[in-house]
Amino acid sequence: MAKLLEVDGVHKRFGGIVATDNLSFTVEKGESLALIGPNGAGKTTIFSLIMGEIRQQEGAIRLKGEDISRLPTHRRIQRGIARTYQVPRPFADMDVAGNIRVGMMPDSLRQMLMRGPDLEAELEVALSVGFTEADLGRTPSTLSMGDLRKLELARTLATKPEIMLLDEVFAGLTVGEIAQISELLAKKRAEGMTFVIVSHDLRALEPLVDRATAMNFGRQIAEGSFADVMGDAEVRAAYLGE
Amino acid sequence: MGGMITQKSLIAWIVAWIAFAVFMLLLPQYVESGTLRLIISANFVAIFAMSWDFLSGKTGYISFGHPFLIGIGAYATAILNYRFHVPIGYSIPLAVVFTLVGGIVYFLPALRIKGTYFALVTLAFMELMYQFTQVIRPDLTGGTRGISGVQTMLVGARPNYYFTFLLMFGIAIVLWLLSRTRAGTALDAIAMNEEAVSGSGLSTTKLKLFAFLVSATVAGIGGAFYVHYQGSIAPRAIFEIDFVFKIIVSALIGGASTIVGPMLGAFFMSFLFDYLRPFLPGTERFFLFGVAALLLYVYQPKGIYQIVADLISGLRAKFAGEAGNGKAA
Amino acid sequence: MTQILIQGFLLSGLYALMAIGFTLIFSVGRVLNLAYGSYLMLGGYAYFYVSQALHMPKLLGFASAIVMGGVAGVLMYKLLVKRLAGDQVAVEISTLILAVVIQAGVVLVFNDSTKILLPIVNGVWRVGSASITFNMLAAMVASWVILAGLFVFVKRTHLGRAIQAVSMDPKGAVISGVDTDRINLITWAISGALGSTAGVFFAAYTQLNPSMWVAPLIIVVAVVIVGGIGSIVGSLIVAHIIGFMEIITTSLISAQMRGVFTMALIIGVLLLRPQGLFGRSDL
Repeated sequence: MAKLLEVDGVHKRFGGIVATDNLSFTVEKGESLALIGPNGAGKTTIFSLIMGEIRQQEGAIRLKGEDISRLPTHRRIQRGIARTYQVPRPFADMDVAGNIRVGMMPDSLRQMLMRGPDLEAELEVALSVGFTEADLGRTPSTLSMGDLRKLELARTLATKPEIMLLDEVFAGLTVGEIAQISELLAKKRAEGMTFVIVSHDLRALEPLVDRATAMNFGRQIAEGSFADVMGDAEVRAAYLGE
Repeated sequence: MGGMITQKSLIAWIVAWIAFAVFMLLLPQYVESGTLRLIISANFVAIFAMSWDFLSGKTGYISFGHPFLIGIGAYATAILNYRFHVPIGYSIPLAVVFTLVGGIVYFLPALRIKGTYFALVTLAFMELMYQFTQVIRPDLTGGTRGISGVQTMLVGARPNYYFTFLLMFGIAIVLWLLSRTRAGTALDAIAMNEEAVSGSGLSTTKLKLFAFLVSATVAGIGGAFYVHYQGSIAPRAIFEIDFVFKIIVSALIGGASTIVGPMLGAFFMSFLFDYLRPFLPGTERFFLFGVAALLLYVYQPKGIYQIVADLISGLRAKFAGEAGNGKAA
Repeated sequence: MTQILIQGFLLSGLYALMAIGFTLIFSVGRVLNLAYGSYLMLGGYAYFYVSQALHMPKLLGFASAIVMGGVAGVLMYKLLVKRLAGDQVAVEISTLILAVVIQAGVVLVFNDSTKILLPIVNGVWRVGSASITFNMLAAMVASWVILAGLFVFVKRTHLGRAIQAVSMDPKGAVISGVDTDRINLITWAISGALGSTAGVFFAAYTQLNPSMWVAPLIIVVAVVIVGGIGSIVGSLIVAHIIGFMEIITTSLISAQMRGVFTMALIIGVLLLRPQGLFGRSDL
């Protein structure tokens, strides 16, 4: 079983506050890991660290064995890792097709200038997240939260990642939308995608993951199967308050 | 938005461009040289406005000091040609190269700062040039008074008209095509959310450098040919806020980030300015124009381009409705 | 040498006075008001009109300048900045356009020519080999007084603290019950009034001219950028750095170079330490 992502002793301070406290975990290729914990536990921080949006003081992050700790964000994405955001950030003045187009673009000026967009591939990505062809022309301001999440996923999938970090992908969705997204994720999982999923919606989360890691105060406090982690005393205390 | 519509609108665009060119090339038969001179002026403003737009309109990095780039092109060719007797055929391309270097310098702050601060740095760059040209090597730059008696390339209103129009038209087509590529899309995306662009796996540094260099090239070309039309150059004429005002307002009124918009805006502005001259000589026009520009900017920031676009889609819808077929265009 | 020291302090005082109003708006509103220089111009022209054209007492001239600036500030805020709420780029561009419009307006009312403002306070004081014009001395004194007053105002009064709150965290201020709109309105009025007051002195130091808003704008921008946002003390210090640099350049190198170092300083600071020398680094 190949280690796809390794977080190795990562430590991050903001001034006097320790956001990530010597955190380590690994994600194997093809598996789906739940990352849970109360608010402020440091889940989004570790995502930002993995993606290179912020840099750690100590520790390393390895993707497919390669240390990516010094790479800028776009290079990490080119190496196969991508994330979604709790608050979707689409390109507001571009339609759905345009948004996907930016995600699909190769990082090469030559290619960008010489070859036009691959409209069929864009459509394929859009359909794969549950959009219809008619949706391609819609702008983000006309999309529901569920659709915005789908757009985020489409844009992220367009970068052809091997592992996806999903940050609260179910937040703010209706029951129907949650079902749609779950179905999509399950499909991708079956196709071999590796996931790290952060979510407060534990019920939606459970069927989508193989393992779980619980965090609090920037540290890992429990690890194992979903059921084991949810049953752990410290985890329950963290969620319910001490 | 499917592929077929793009095909249709592309044909419409091509027809429009050709019609525009034909119209402008035939014009000299019907108007007097005063109007031709006006259009020549407008052509230059259009070039500068498009240069500004490709950078600031598209990426959102507002340049308040664009004359910095234009001035490098202008001074470089003036100095090479007037002081060192380099023939125009060489001095102009060399001037563009110098402007490219200037463009790289102009770009460096964009690596570290954005938004307001970047705009201020550009303003500072322009002011710096204003001081530099007066103080450093005045034997070359002509100091405060500048250089006059620079070789003019063509003589007479008509030849200059044709030349500047073709130059402007060529630049417009190239920039317009560039902005329709995926690179253009990426640049637009940078203006909307730069982090999301790098979050899509693209190097924003590369893209921004591209925009800066293209903008600088056009600015250099415009500046160089401008000097060889005017026959003179002085710091006061180039490195000043009024010039920045003209360029930016043209671009905004026309419609920022569309390339075509700024071109139209430059013409609109130049013509309106001139039209008002007999009624409001002098500064009143600036005043009125500024107020109109402000109002337009506050209420329809997308400019003339959007107004025209809305009109066309409104007409299209009406036409489709009347045709009774209801097939949305 | 004494001349340099004295002239340096005097000019720095003037620059500090000019920069105060700009610092206020930039810190509080995070807005780059490119029409700030216009306040100076309006103040100078108002004073000129009332005191010299109408031959009214100088104090009245001053008062009209202050009122002019305050009103201009309020109008700028209500008609422009508020409408374009949040879009920084739009505010920058439109204040630039506004500045040119105001310049054109001034030309329409007063005509294009340069006017000389009579000294506000007559007389020269000779200290050794140096000479100090009372005019500049008055500017320097005024600037220190106003700065001190502003410092007290911001730190001690309720309104001042509210302004600080809005400058640090607009959303937090709203939650704390601060009427941000009213605060912004007051801040813009004060900024305008400060600008026009400084403008009277600046016009006396140089001359009245419809394009006189550009140079002070650059200087003021330099002071705030280099000094750093949110630091009144920083602005003060940098005003002195720039003031002295200009005097030294003028005396020892050449009068024409005086602007070059200021520009280079802006560029250098923005590239190496964008938050300014004394600014908050959480920006």
